[in-house]
Amino acid sequence: MIKGYQINYQNQNVSILKGIDIEVGYGEFLAIVGPNGAGKSSLLNVLANEIKTDKKQHILFKDKIITDWKLEVLSKHKAKFSQHNSQDIPLLVKDVVMMGRYPYFHSQPNSEDFKSTENAMTETDIIHLQNRDYNSLSGGEKQRVHLARVLAQLDNDVTHRLLFLDEPLNNLDVKHQYKTLELIKKLTQKKNTTIVVLHDLNLAAHFADKILLMESGKVLSYGSPEEVFTQEMISKAYQFPCTICKHPVNQETMILFG
Amino acid sequence: MTLRSKNIGFYIAIGLLSLVIMMITALNIGVYEFGKSSAYEVFWKHISGNPSLSLSEKYVIWEVRASRIVMAVLIGSMLAVSGTTLQGMFKNPLATGDLIGLTSGATLLAAIAIVLGHTFQDYLPEWIRFSLVSVSAFLGALLSMILVYRISTSGGKTNVVMMLLSGVAITAIGFAITGMLIYISKDDQLRDLTFWNLGSLASATWTKNAILFGVLLISYYVLLPKGKALNAMMLGEKDAQHLGINVEVLKKQIVILTALMVGTCVAFSGTIGFVGLIVPYILRLLFRSDYHFILPLSAICGSILLLFADTLSRTIVAPSELPIGILTAVMGGPVFIAILLKFKNNLR
Repeated sequence: MIKGYQINYQNQNVSILKGIDIEVGYGEFLAIVGPNGAGKSSLLNVLANEIKTDKKQHILFKDKIITDWKLEVLSKHKAKFSQHNSQDIPLLVKDVVMMGRYPYFHSQPNSEDFKSTENAMTETDIIHLQNRDYNSLSGGEKQRVHLARVLAQLDNDVTHRLLFLDEPLNNLDVKHQYKTLELIKKLTQKKNTTIVVLHDLNLAAHFADKILLMESGKVLSYGSPEEVFTQEMISKAYQFPCTICKHPVNQETMILFG
Repeated sequence: MTLRSKNIGFYIAIGLLSLVIMMITALNIGVYEFGKSSAYEVFWKHISGNPSLSLSEKYVIWEVRASRIVMAVLIGSMLAVSGTTLQGMFKNPLATGDLIGLTSGATLLAAIAIVLGHTFQDYLPEWIRFSLVSVSAFLGALLSMILVYRISTSGGKTNVVMMLLSGVAITAIGFAITGMLIYISKDDQLRDLTFWNLGSLASATWTKNAILFGVLLISYYVLLPKGKALNAMMLGEKDAQHLGINVEVLKKQIVILTALMVGTCVAFSGTIGFVGLIVPYILRLLFRSDYHFILPLSAICGSILLLFADTLSRTIVAPSELPIGILTAVMGGPVFIAILLKFKNNLR
């Protein structure tokens, strides 16, 4: 789906990404985890074609250099949920969600676009807010509006779609954290790929197929949750003691800190 | 209160209808008395080429009134659209040609062109002097635009204070140099420069209208379909790009075409302030910030506003005339304050 080799990125002479190799397959749910400042968001931005890196490096999206894609076409294949969403958009909630359908209609949205936004709003549990002013919502509700927007954007017939999410669980309550990850999981079960930056290691272990653990611009460990989440690896990355144990109810891997 | 229930075409139709009614009304308003017949009969006689029309009547109805009405419609429309698109690009309702210094930049270079043009006027044919002023005004607007954008925006985020202060700086520089030019200029240049500073539609001609119309067609062809793109810009430039919008191209188009529109308007009518602030402000009250609605509607409402102001300016102190800039400033000042109050907490 998407590949990148030896990705380097510098911002104001600070080296943020140092030679990262990454390859994500079709239908994969990859969680990028790591301490603050490890370069998780930067990696996501580079992969999503947001920031330009060295000219010599190429990100291959569906075996074609990502910068060679036409933006309009690319917008039907991939979408991104950003970490810092705009707080001031003087529009109704349903208008903001409709922005996700902008690649699909010229001037007036058609019935398919309306159906798509309604589905997305139902899935993210904001359908009751659709006629509210976006600016009057709480932080968590705004997050869900943008989630609905990117879901509506990828609601199409393209076989392999790619969704980037940068800390989508910020400000969300427990129920919506789970609902959001379940939505993402459902998407990957239809041969689509998601790359998600997460902070909650237990949620990452529960939902993701693969984990990429980063530390100061490098990949510390990559593999299935069982392979990556070992006591020494986590303690090394976060510089903080932890214990790995079994969940008393469902017997899954559980990480306890402190 | 928001009106969004109906299709955009419905509001455009209502807007165009009121504009046409206003244009017809304005044709009958003026100092000149046509004797027994009404202005409409005279206008009809002119259109149908009736030979009984006297030369002065013909001149007043066609060269004075009709051309001035059309000029108000064209300039009002372009000033409003330039304001709306700039606000979309800077993501702020205070970004307008006059507040961020485009108008001052255009006025400054136009003033320089007038004074220099007079020095060379014996050697230059008239049409070159004429276009020299217009092209200078366009360049002045474009340079100010690039300067303001460079100073106030980095990484796709605009610092509103920097944006407004760079406008103040450009206006100050323009004021100083224009003042100096006034000080050293001769009588006929002085008259031209004063006209520039106050703004007036009295010099309307059909040649100017044709040029304005050409600029309008080019600019609207590119800019008016950008409602969706400007909405997406509210998400931030990167997220707009993820929606398939080529933000860099969009910004270049806006920079060049707003400079072209503001520059041409300044060259032909001088400084008429606040149209680009008032019109989008009112439309935002009715339609929120949905550029899909407010962009085409500002093209119509700008015409209505300026035609209204111009008709008022030539009637309230008739037979004399009030500079139109005074009227638009009287309306625009309170709007400016209203926006400031509303954004008191977000203007950082």
